[in-house]
Amino acid sequence: MIVSELILPVLLVTFVLVLGAYLVAVLDEAIAGALGMPRATSVWTAPLTQGAWLLTQQANATEAPDWRAWRLAPALYLALAAIGLAVVPFSPTLIPTDLVTSVVLWGSVEALATVVIFLHGWSANTLLALIGAYRYVALGLSYILISMFVLIGVALPAESLQFSQVVASQEGLWNVIRQPLGLPLFLIVGLGMTFWGPLNLADSRDLAGGTASAVSGPPRLVWNLARAAMLVAFSGAAASAFLGGWLGPWLPGPVWMLLKMLAVLAVLLLIGRLVPRVQPERCVTLMWVVFLPLSFVDLIWAGVEALL
Amino acid sequence: MAVSWLSRLAAQATVPVFPVRGMHGEPVLHRLALAAGIELVDSPRHASILLVAGGVPPDQHDALRRVHDQLPTPFATLWYRSEPLDELAGATRVDDPDALPEALKTIHRELMSGKRGSSPRLLPDEPPNPWEGLGDDGHGGEGMMGGVPYGRPMAMNMTDDIRDGLTLDSLTVTLGPFLPMLPPGLTAEVTLQGDLIQSWTTHSAPYPIALESAFFQALQGPVPIAELERARARYHLKRLHFGLRLAGLERLALEALRLAFEPHPGQNRVMALRRRLVRSGFFRLTTTGRGRLDENQARRVGGIAARAAGLEEDWRSGDEGYRHLNFRPLTQREGDTAARWHQTLAEIEQALQLAGQAERDAVHTRRSDGVETPRGPWGEYRPEDASGVLEELLPGLEWDEAMSTLASLDLAPLSPWSLEETSEAPVPTSVEERRA
Repeated sequence: MIVSELILPVLLVTFVLVLGAYLVAVLDEAIAGALGMPRATSVWTAPLTQGAWLLTQQANATEAPDWRAWRLAPALYLALAAIGLAVVPFSPTLIPTDLVTSVVLWGSVEALATVVIFLHGWSANTLLALIGAYRYVALGLSYILISMFVLIGVALPAESLQFSQVVASQEGLWNVIRQPLGLPLFLIVGLGMTFWGPLNLADSRDLAGGTASAVSGPPRLVWNLARAAMLVAFSGAAASAFLGGWLGPWLPGPVWMLLKMLAVLAVLLLIGRLVPRVQPERCVTLMWVVFLPLSFVDLIWAGVEALL
Repeated sequence: MAVSWLSRLAAQATVPVFPVRGMHGEPVLHRLALAAGIELVDSPRHASILLVAGGVPPDQHDALRRVHDQLPTPFATLWYRSEPLDELAGATRVDDPDALPEALKTIHRELMSGKRGSSPRLLPDEPPNPWEGLGDDGHGGEGMMGGVPYGRPMAMNMTDDIRDGLTLDSLTVTLGPFLPMLPPGLTAEVTLQGDLIQSWTTHSAPYPIALESAFFQALQGPVPIAELERARARYHLKRLHFGLRLAGLERLALEALRLAFEPHPGQNRVMALRRRLVRSGFFRLTTTGRGRLDENQARRVGGIAARAAGLEEDWRSGDEGYRHLNFRPLTQREGDTAARWHQTLAEIEQALQLAGQAERDAVHTRRSDGVETPRGPWGEYRPEDASGVLEELLPGLEWDEAMSTLASLDLAPLSPWSLEETSEAPVPTSVEERRA
């Protein structure tokens, strides 16, 4: 009982998160190298050497930070990534936690991510981190609504809020084809909740690293790890909701799942390298005027399709 | 054992360097941006080496000390063509740009292996002002209001928001002179509400920028137009690199920088770069039609900013040599950030096209009473500091808009020395001399 419902799920989630976060770093380095960035070390060792350097660097202090919140925020973000991944099914039986409301739980992870990212920027008590935090809240509100409509869209044909049921409902046709607007919109949500690439409004270059601008050493390592882990968790949710999760011929289910997660990660990382950071005002306008109405269309599409 | 294993691994990491951009320090940083194994980071907290590139005037030494002390241990400093601070007299100084990447890597390795100790703290680890808290919550005032804890006023909404009426606490801070998003040397007192700039007061002007010697020779007598125009293209490509990097387009930024280092960059490669920029959404996603200069402001800034606002002002129009090449000044109408980047790209293409044509026909400049520098016309007077325009331009903009507007503007005064001479140029010793 304890082994199957506690120890195994924790081991599985930890293994996928750590391996996944490492692969995110490797993949991002490889994409950067392929796009012509100067590179000295091998893509396989670069994340390890950078991690080792951060472990040797002192964790600095700022003037009167909110210590507890500042140190906790990276750990909380990592915990949210782990919670998100815990409801992702790897096969009909290999599911860390098969909640009947797992889609709702995923939605709450998205909402809490906004709180944690704000906390990270606010608690440092420095200007650039604070601006990053402020800006992120404006973005956070916009993407969570889109995510809700898109996820309700995939729950409709499954008649369930359980990720394993959502995957099972794609036996005949994957949601990526059944609801063509869903995955592109959900990828925008993913870029938002990991503040990656074009939607990196929290930790961007114009803020010298934003919420992470005043962080060094091990806490920065945890923060970077947590961002990569959140990408992994998101890719799990996206693969389950739209790419048929474990479904696929010849290979075992979990292998299909991992391959699909890698594909989602590769797309997100490529977007991150190719698209500029969207100006916050333009970003909020795009979210509310273009993507949110599109998510309504997606939901209506899903509803009509479910009725027919 | 475990620690030494970790240190050995850390020694192999890409070397994170925080550059302090001193006077005439930019050229070497452009070279470092293309070097493998070195990363120029934006925050001193993310660095293992503080690289002071170029001289820092004595009145900004305190700011330099503050940046120095922000680096987490273990860290070291490296001074490139710059005199180390008195307290750091033993720090490494390198004057050869070719030796710099290797020197940085060696220092990082030595720091990790423990062969080199961390740089000492220069300032006492205490708040800049004493704690003078009063009141129930120790915040320095009566009830929930007022007071000056640690010498700074409480964040209070003293002014109405100038964007949408959503009033947030006002926060007044001093930015610069080494904030990587601002032109080197610029310091300003800025009041913010959230991420919105309420007021901007420039305190000290950006450091003068040095141009290639071709522009100085053009003031002495005829020079080959090909040489002048290629130097112009290189200058603008380097500015473009900065703007693109700020926008998160690292790859295209490096592409622009690589073009700037080529002896004969092809016009078609710049056109390809422009197409890729359009496709990436650079003009539509990173600009919002803000940062617009009116006619007066555009004239004050001059050069690309003036022509992007529709002013057909270009010294080259009056030169026989250029007329022979059918030169016509290009202009845009909008005068905003996007227009300035469009103008920059158009002028790079034009410069390379003129260079190719001038080389074929061996055309030289004819006038030597002035020259159109990349920073504007240099006739009777050298282009001067134009950072005063920021005080009118930036209030009302969000932080991101303000920073991209700043990147698209070229406001620094021109140095009386050429790029080739600046390696020997002395660092001004007083504020007055720098202002002069």
